[in-house]
Amino acid sequence: MQQGAGSETVVTWEDQLNINRFSKLNNRFHEIEDDIKAEKERNENLEDASNELILTDEDVVRFQIGDVFAHVPREEVEDRIELMKEDTTKNLEKLEEEKESVLAQMSELKKVLYAKFKDSINLEED
Amino acid sequence: MAASPSSAATERRGIPGAQFVEDVQTYLTQSGLDVSSALAFLQERLQQYKFVEMKLLAQQRDLQAKIPDIEKCLEIVATLEAKKNAGEALIADFEVSEGIYSRARVEDNDSVCLWLGANVMLEYSCEEATDLLQKNLQNAKASLEVLLTDLQFLRDQVTITQVTIARVYNWDVHQRRIRSTASASTDP
Repeated sequence: MQQGAGSETVVTWEDQLNINRFSKLNNRFHEIEDDIKAEKERNENLEDASNELILTDEDVVRFQIGDVFAHVPREEVEDRIELMKEDTTKNLEKLEEEKESVLAQMSELKKVLYAKFKDSINLEED
Repeated sequence: MAASPSSAATERRGIPGAQFVEDVQTYLTQSGLDVSSALAFLQERLQQYKFVEMKLLAQQRDLQAKIPDIEKCLEIVATLEAKKNAGEALIADFEVSEGIYSRARVEDNDSVCLWLGANVMLEYSCEEATDLLQKNLQNAKASLEVLLTDLQFLRDQVTITQVTIARVYNWDVHQRRIRSTASASTDP
């Protein structure tokens, strides 16, 4: 992350703390991105499942609970999937919110660090 | 005001804290190292940190896989209990061998058997099983919390070391430049 032209800028402990914070935020940002992707996929799968349920004319469908496929009335499965979808949607909202806050904090730190170190520091990813 | 560097550079779970270098010149004289051996020492430290990070990340993955497993167990126990209370039997297709399924009718089940590991399986009432699984779930979540804090600490040490390496390197480049311009101006 660090690249310098050999110029001398005094790095204080406070600067170091800011760099640490930035590094951790950047890491968290990538974790959030991965989580969002996984959660979106889950949501899509649930969406697919509920669409299939609309098409089927069976009254009892196999629904996986634990490791077995339980025979569950279709209405109940529909309700369960609805609940699961609500869950993932809520999770997604929370993740998006956190992503925004992480990004905001990162750009604040960028301002501070670039102001001090100019082009002696590189905080961008290629 | 930020805490002083010395107070932060302790250790956590056997992971030594990285030393923050206030001034490269003083650091080199105090440690009695020249630039290349200082860099070698820091690089080695960095490798050690990376190694520990890999180990912790593996533990994190294990725990993150374990938590949904326990949740799955809780779900099926809850289903069995609900069926019992409703006076219905649970009809389920289950895998008898890989890719082969058969149908089962589970009725009047007051208990489930939990595989505890070490070749031991114990029969529990549904309530007891739920309690135990809940406890396991809480433990797993607590360990994950601690692990994440360890990882954060470790990442700070990695960043400090990386910054220090860059600074020692830059300081050296700077010194060389001063020396070469000095000699260029004395003998043209």
